[in-house]
Amino acid sequence: MLFYYLRLSALSYRRNPVLSTLMVLAVGIGISAYMIVYTLNYTMGGDPIPHKSDQLFHVQLDSGNPNTDTDAPDQLTYLDAMALLRADRGYRETASSKFSSIVEPQNPELRPFTFIGRGVYADFFSMFDVPFQYGRGWDESADADLQQVVVLSRVLNERLFGGANSVGENVSIAGDSWRVIGVLQEWNPVPKFYDVNNGPFDNGEELYIPWPHLVARELPRSGNTNCWKSIGGTGIEAFLNSECVWLQYWVELPDRDSQIEYLQFLDNYVAEQKTFGRFERPMNNALYDVNEWLVKEEVVPDETRILSMLAIMLLAVCLLNTIGLLLAKFLGKSAELGVRQALGAHKGSLFVQHVIEAGFIGLLGGLLGLLLASYGLEGVKLLLGNQLMITDWIQLNVPVVITTMVLAVVATIIAGLYPIWRACTINPALHLKAQ
Amino acid sequence: MLDMQNVSKVFRTELVETHALRDFSLKVDEGEFVTITGPSGCGKTTFLNIAGLLENYSSGAYRLDAKDVSDLSDFQRARLRNEKIGFIFQSFNLMPDLNLFDNVDVPLRYRGMKSAERRKRIDAALDAVGLLSRKKHLPAQLSGGQQQRVAIARALVGEPRFLLADEPTGNLDSNTAMGVMELLQEINGQGTTIIMVTHDPELAQASERNIHILDGRISDPETPVTQLQTKAAIPA
Repeated sequence: MLFYYLRLSALSYRRNPVLSTLMVLAVGIGISAYMIVYTLNYTMGGDPIPHKSDQLFHVQLDSGNPNTDTDAPDQLTYLDAMALLRADRGYRETASSKFSSIVEPQNPELRPFTFIGRGVYADFFSMFDVPFQYGRGWDESADADLQQVVVLSRVLNERLFGGANSVGENVSIAGDSWRVIGVLQEWNPVPKFYDVNNGPFDNGEELYIPWPHLVARELPRSGNTNCWKSIGGTGIEAFLNSECVWLQYWVELPDRDSQIEYLQFLDNYVAEQKTFGRFERPMNNALYDVNEWLVKEEVVPDETRILSMLAIMLLAVCLLNTIGLLLAKFLGKSAELGVRQALGAHKGSLFVQHVIEAGFIGLLGGLLGLLLASYGLEGVKLLLGNQLMITDWIQLNVPVVITTMVLAVVATIIAGLYPIWRACTINPALHLKAQ
Repeated sequence: MLDMQNVSKVFRTELVETHALRDFSLKVDEGEFVTITGPSGCGKTTFLNIAGLLENYSSGAYRLDAKDVSDLSDFQRARLRNEKIGFIFQSFNLMPDLNLFDNVDVPLRYRGMKSAERRKRIDAALDAVGLLSRKKHLPAQLSGGQQQRVAIARALVGEPRFLLADEPTGNLDSNTAMGVMELLQEINGQGTTIIMVTHDPELAQASERNIHILDGRISDPETPVTQLQTKAAIPA
């Protein structure tokens, strides 16, 4: 009977094309507005690493200015990051920061170009489950021995080696030769949780090297650096010994006990540092898992919540209109319903028939909604393009499309329940004679 | 077959109480062709709706095919209608967007019959009314008489035990009306019980028994069909 009812729905649409199209428009507009906002929220506020987001923690130490009541800094000083790394108390851990440099391609036809890279420790790749197309990441010895190894992003590998397996090839960076040991698959977690301080919606970096090279080679830093105290000298040593925060620090702690233990370790560390005259603020150390960190950093702006409310209200108004239109349509079929009852339809079968008809309208509205939402998201890209460096992630994806269609069908059926109930409870005898 | 005892039907609104049927008693045996006549508003259609399980009655007893229908659920009533009763209406009541085949298909759909069996029955029903060759046509492409023939095919396709016809010739010219009447007589001849409401005394004369209703009551249960023309001539 499902296909029979679907066919009746299509015929019913053809019988009242204007009324039916108005309903599809109402559902489509309401759904598209909601889906645009939903897509933004879904992508901006989604869990970028759902299978282990509760095991990855951002480390926050309050080394801030004791004379102000500003929040604890989001990043760590070099001194603290190195101390935590040396202590090696986490299951896996990494400090990281951005840098920029120049790469000189082997291909003489390509000119040297600037790139944004990231210095990381060996654990970075396994902690964040970074997917590799070729090769792998480096091990701890590369960090310790300052091995000149590099992992390329898929895009940079495409640019330098035409996408071929470049493991074992050499890349010239800042005048030195570096050996390629791995090439990533496309990897752009949204939001870029491991460094929300430097653009949570920026693309991932083009190249990764062992972090100690950043200091050893004094590679140009890129990204936020905040200092509440004067550096007290010039040169790299003075900067490294300063209270300037510029390093992101993440630790993987697989269970609750290890998390409690690590936090205790942080408190002990800060207590010790206080004896040296550092950390003048009250003890305020924290571990934030991925989702807590995204919320704390307000990665999803408040404006999107307001937009969500407005979109839900618009959807509600559109569905209210749909109720009225469905009521007009279904009550207009009273005579047909009377005949169907006379011929053997019971109220339950009429109910199912009209639920499917409402669902059919919802399905068409959902398809229209998807079309409108895809155009709407292009508009959002134009609007947000200046605020968000990269907007490629603003697009309909499979979960959003499925959600749209399910929402459209379910919402229309719910909106249709009253009209359907009214239509199914008519007295057939009243309409058989009148037709 | 159909047995009504002291059936009454009262329509109530906030202001008015209308007695459509009063202590209405009627027995129709299997294979009979009964016509119901009476002036407008006398309760003919109400009787037909109650007989067809489309309307509940206020009091009395009604047994259809020896089964008390008073406590049946909507589902059971629908099933009984689908299996035992065929309806023919004055204004045909065909569904305008369905072709003839699909119109005749409607009662079989609700019976949950398999596709091949449905197709066989529909073709046979349309063939019986002489419209098989036009089964892909829409109702609007047919004349009134042809539309009523389709409605008859639809009523018969489920092989019901009895047929309820509410002024089936009311919208047809006299020649076409006679054609439809002949078709109904032929169907009755094959054993189907028919109860037909009509205003036309000539058609009533063609039936075996006529029931004349006045103010919701049977005015003269024994009215011989031959006296109908005289009765109809007397102004109400």
